[in-house]
Amino acid sequence: MIIETKHLSKRFGNFYALEDINFAVQEGEIHGLVGENGAGKSTLIKILTGVYHLTNGEIFVSGEKANIQTPSDSRRLGISVIHQDRNIVPAFNGVENVYLGLDVLKRHITSVDFATMKANVQKVMVQYQIDIPLDKMARDLTPPQKTMLEIVRAVMTNCKLLILDEPTASLTDKESELLFALIKKLNAKGTAILYVSHRLEEIFQLTNRITVFKNGKLVKTVETKGIDSDGLIRLMTDNWTSTNERHGQEIKGEPIYSIEHVSSADGMAKDVSFASHAGEIMGLFGLGGSGRTETLEAIYGYKPLKSGKIFFKGKEIKNPTPSKSIQSGIVLIHEDRRGHSLVMSREIKDNVVLSTIDSYVEKGFFNATKERDNVNTKIKELEIKTTGPEQRTSELSGGNQQKVVFARALMSVPKVFLCDEPTQAVDVMTRKEIHNLLRKCADKGSAVVYVTSDLKEMLEVADTITIIANGKTWERLENRGLTSKQVLSYCYQKR
Amino acid sequence: MKKDVKKAMSFKEVMTSYGTFFALLLVIVVFGALNPRVFLSSTNFWNITRQMVILAIISLGTTLIMSVEEFDLSVGTIASFSGVLSAILAINGVPFFWAMMIAFVLSGIIGFLNGFIVTRFKVMSFIITLAMSRVIYGVTYWLSDGAIVFNKIPESFKFIGTAKLGPIPYLTFLMVIAILIFHYITKSTSLGRKFYAIGGNEQASQVAGIKVSKYKTIAFTIAGAMSGLAGVLLASRVGSAAPTGGDAYCLNAYATIFIGKTVFKEGIPNIPGTVVGVALFTILANGLTIMQVPTFVQNILTGLVIVIAVISQKLGSKENE
Repeated sequence: MIIETKHLSKRFGNFYALEDINFAVQEGEIHGLVGENGAGKSTLIKILTGVYHLTNGEIFVSGEKANIQTPSDSRRLGISVIHQDRNIVPAFNGVENVYLGLDVLKRHITSVDFATMKANVQKVMVQYQIDIPLDKMARDLTPPQKTMLEIVRAVMTNCKLLILDEPTASLTDKESELLFALIKKLNAKGTAILYVSHRLEEIFQLTNRITVFKNGKLVKTVETKGIDSDGLIRLMTDNWTSTNERHGQEIKGEPIYSIEHVSSADGMAKDVSFASHAGEIMGLFGLGGSGRTETLEAIYGYKPLKSGKIFFKGKEIKNPTPSKSIQSGIVLIHEDRRGHSLVMSREIKDNVVLSTIDSYVEKGFFNATKERDNVNTKIKELEIKTTGPEQRTSELSGGNQQKVVFARALMSVPKVFLCDEPTQAVDVMTRKEIHNLLRKCADKGSAVVYVTSDLKEMLEVADTITIIANGKTWERLENRGLTSKQVLSYCYQKR
Repeated sequence: MKKDVKKAMSFKEVMTSYGTFFALLLVIVVFGALNPRVFLSSTNFWNITRQMVILAIISLGTTLIMSVEEFDLSVGTIASFSGVLSAILAINGVPFFWAMMIAFVLSGIIGFLNGFIVTRFKVMSFIITLAMSRVIYGVTYWLSDGAIVFNKIPESFKFIGTAKLGPIPYLTFLMVIAILIFHYITKSTSLGRKFYAIGGNEQASQVAGIKVSKYKTIAFTIAGAMSGLAGVLLASRVGSAAPTGGDAYCLNAYATIFIGKTVFKEGIPNIPGTVVGVALFTILANGLTIMQVPTFVQNILTGLVIVIAVISQKLGSKENE
């Protein structure tokens, strides 16, 4: 065994992110690791690479008990990881990046021996038939070249286990093929690979064995030959059936908000179309990296659009901006509450009126009484637990902070809600309240676009579910007796 | 035991909220004790208020820049430019009011340009305004031929900078009015609220529909205009305009704002805090001059005050987290 964990657990507070994991990667194999969002894959990687410390259990590297305290411990043991967000210094060239964290070679005390360093890197590149320009700054390399550079760095040291975490998320199909060829070459030369991905077709193409995680537990390790994608999905998910009580109702009439062939400038959303009706909670479901967030940001006007059309009440919205969207009655509940929703250092009232502050200016003067009254009304309506409108927003609990975000959204009386993970990190009660609130708004004639990674929640809340994968929208499913397995199999199907 | 801990905490809290006030009080007490006859006289009191004016007016505008989390390092050179320009206009027969207005508006336009470049091209305000200050300095030098402008400045130009109503200098009135207006803007207008929202979290403000670029540009424009006003008043007060006359106010303005951030436990730029900072700074300079402390010692002491203020502001904000 290259690496083996025995009874490994990781606890955050009262919550077990990993529980009693007995996991092993053998010499010379490519091992796939799959599981839904929050299954514990990332936590395991972080423990193996020294980012987190385990709560209980043991790790063995090449049969010997290992004490991994820091990332450099992990590297010394021969474990390297390549993340989806690459770990490269943009202003350094290839050689400098490869030698990051390694001892540089010196001719004498003051002079770095770049020539030998470069020769060493080239030797490795020839060995693995990798071809990337070493003199260019890393920022000028293409995404696959950057990944390759990181692989070169990994194999410069004695890398026994290479962990790849969603390495193809930002690569095109062709670029992915190049990467796969390299992975196979590395593997043939004796490096064991742990390959983590949502894309099952890659898992099947590459791996010898697959381990499935679910809710922080290891479900099973299987031979890749002995299973198909249906079987794998069955292992990955509890099968929930839709519990949406309104699924009997037909969605009628023309959509009030629709987008056609939208792509975002960052390339994450490639061809997204959907239509959202008054009274409907439209789920937009996709796995991490499918382009959900980027789509919402682009159509709301926060990030640049590349192409596509947006229609609201039959009229096209051209070049959307956040302020234009809000004025027409479209709000975005951003997934990043801390960074993109709230001004934490300011008072609750500042945040609640942030989008509508100009409406309090009457004859050139700011009507603070009206502001206070309105904010108080919203605090009562949404049952925000606070000492008053003047409390600092950062002092509230996560759930109450999210209620402040919704209070602000409601202040502009929107007709379309674009909600990105609105119940992320909120308590169960608040989650229910947010669901009820959105249902109430839908009943009053608003359209709701709902994004969540939690499929169980999606099946509870949505009337219809549109599937998004690889930046494109696919099936639109009526949420009537849908099961999680059905939804996931659409997501995991080879596109 | 537990009580003791709580007491210590609250003492620390008092120090972070009101430490700057204590520093101000300390400075007054020390100078008052050392030379009560001169320092504590009413003449000196009004004198101090007049000495505060230029720094106060530049700092008010700069506080807005800081409240949107940007920097404008050209406020000092704008003041120099505006002083020279207005003096030359006055020499050429332009009435004081119009000379002031032209300098005021042109300075506002420079500020607007700063803001436009910074927001349009998403570049660091720090370096852009530093570069702009070189440009402005060049123009000022060209206008003044590199010399102090003082010949043939009409008396009417010096009126506002030197006249008094009873014991109270006109400039002091002007400053008080400006402080009140800026306090009102930051506390009770949607404009001020937007500035603080942007400073608190630019992305969230953008998502909430606030036109971040527009309001940042407004802040730059106001700061430029206020620096221009300060430059005219400075020239009027001293009766001449040096091509570098306002330059030193830039660093001092930021120092007062950092000191101000420590006042009232806000941890953010705020007008009352800035005024306290200006007062602290001016009283320190005034007292040291009365004590006939050499200029180089004054420099060392004021520099140290800035360092201490910035450190204590950092400590204060940690306390707030």
